Amino acid sequence: MEQPLQKRSTGRLMIIGFLSPTILLLLFMVAYPIISLVYYSFHNFSAMRPADGMTWAGLGNYEYLLTDRGIWQRFVFTGKFVFLCVTMQMILGIFVGYQLQKTFKGRDFLFTALMLPMMLSPVVAGFLWRYMLNAEWGVVNYLLTGIGLPKVEWLSQATPALWAAAVVDTWMWTPFIALLATAAFRGIPETIYEAAEVDGASPAYVFFRVTLPMSAPVLFIALILRLIDCFKQYDLFVAFTGGGPGSSTETVSFAVAKTAFSYFYTGEASALAVILLCIIMGLAMILVRHLSKMGER
Amino acid sequence: MSASNTGSARITRWVLFGLLVLYTIYNLGPILWLVISSLKSRADLFAMPPKLVFTPDFSGYQSVFGIGAAKDSAASIGVFRSLITSVLVSTIGTSVAVMLGTLAGYVCSRFDFRGKGDFMFFVLSTRMLPPVAVLVFYHMMFAQLGLADTRIGLILIAVFINVGLATWIMKGFFDGVPREVEQIAIVNGYSRMYAFRKLVLPMVKGGIAATAGFCFIFSWNEYAFASILTTTKAQTLPVKISTASGATGIEWTQICAAGVVLIVPVLIFFWLIRKHLLMGMTFGVLGRK
Repeated sequence: MEQPLQKRSTGRLMIIGFLSPTILLLLFMVAYPIISLVYYSFHNFSAMRPADGMTWAGLGNYEYLLTDRGIWQRFVFTGKFVFLCVTMQMILGIFVGYQLQKTFKGRDFLFTALMLPMMLSPVVAGFLWRYMLNAEWGVVNYLLTGIGLPKVEWLSQATPALWAAAVVDTWMWTPFIALLATAAFRGIPETIYEAAEVDGASPAYVFFRVTLPMSAPVLFIALILRLIDCFKQYDLFVAFTGGGPGSSTETVSFAVAKTAFSYFYTGEASALAVILLCIIMGLAMILVRHLSKMGER
Repeated sequence: MSASNTGSARITRWVLFGLLVLYTIYNLGPILWLVISSLKSRADLFAMPPKLVFTPDFSGYQSVFGIGAAKDSAASIGVFRSLITSVLVSTIGTSVAVMLGTLAGYVCSRFDFRGKGDFMFFVLSTRMLPPVAVLVFYHMMFAQLGLADTRIGLILIAVFINVGLATWIMKGFFDGVPREVEQIAIVNGYSRMYAFRKLVLPMVKGGIAATAGFCFIFSWNEYAFASILTTTKAQTLPVKISTASGATGIEWTQICAAGVVLIVPVLIFFWLIRKHLLMGMTFGVLGRK
């Protein structure tokens, strides 16, 4: 933007004035804690017994974690959970978003109603589904037996519990993908569709060759946000399974919380948190870089 | 329109419609069940087969609001207190986060400065941070600063978890306002600040509302931070109801009633901002006006 020279300084003042509160807050709330976290991760230390002091542990905490089979189990579970959730949510969300971008009577009403699961507190959602999936008096098993299927012990076996958790997360967050997808689909200029219709392209062709590619950046953002949110999922499992049966539905986040706030192994929890942070930030960086490449194209 | 008249196209359309109906049942069924269960007595909750016709029982709602039969019980006074905490923390936290996000979003939309890309990523990364990771440290920091179990501490958290998202969404809305608005104002002798306050801000009112809606949902439903950083005095409603499940087993009626109470303000918010939601959610990456 062409600007007279004397206005430059106002611009700089504005940048500094408008950004500094946010930067200061985030430095205090993110940079400082993370530096401390890395520091703790190299020490034997318990927040419960500060009198015992801190002793240098070197890579001890990391070594212990990476050779512990229990931790690998948490990572494998988290990975399976993320994969199931993101796949189901993207497919369902794009489908629902495509249906909702059409203009029809009662669309606003249906649209808002379908957003309801996303508005529910994750803890309440966890309890609600735990209530509905109860093997003995839950409504889901009642409906299943009603159509002649056997009862399922949803929450007392590892595999059904994984699927149940993915179904609950998908229930909550498909509306979010649908919201972003609708927004993206409606942003595509009408003239492109008209041109496609004149050319006699089939609806399926238009959807896969025009709609999807043109809304790819937004859908990709949706994917990033869900991928990372699923990866750090914690609230849902507290209320839904409590990590059980056994420790089979503990995510990595859940394990960090348990190590830090039930066992008070602060050093070890810090090390696990650092590993979790590195994975998430690494993922985010790769994905965001890919996104900006998409934007340039 | 010729394509849609052929037989296969009609079948496709009915299949898609059927799938949407199925999805709607999956989506809204549990919500309906939540509302129904919130009105059931303890005995009706566990009835098998589940009852669809029953005498409504308002004890869950009474204990959330601390009225009626539950008026003087210590447990429900605690629940009502936590509702007040939730309202205060979410509204104040959302207001501050939206304010900061609006300022930062405007600068990111209008100016090119060194490190802008890094700043934008840093801001977004706060949204991606796993709460438990920083909580290991906050737990100690809050105790040292006297912020543990206080509403002020939770407001700080509410601002922090939302400011990144607010910045990104607001940047998208500002990108949609033509730069000519400020150019014309400056040519006419107004200051840049005046143009921002009196011309640009009113144009993104809807965007501010949508951003506030999102921030409100996230702080209203926030659980991880509140559950670790509060113990008694400053518990929010989601934390309170999760700890209520203890001595006498899980208080399902109370949880369902609290769930309904928690969803109402968000639903109202959503309905009011529904038109703006769709515009803001493309984060400006589609590059349209």
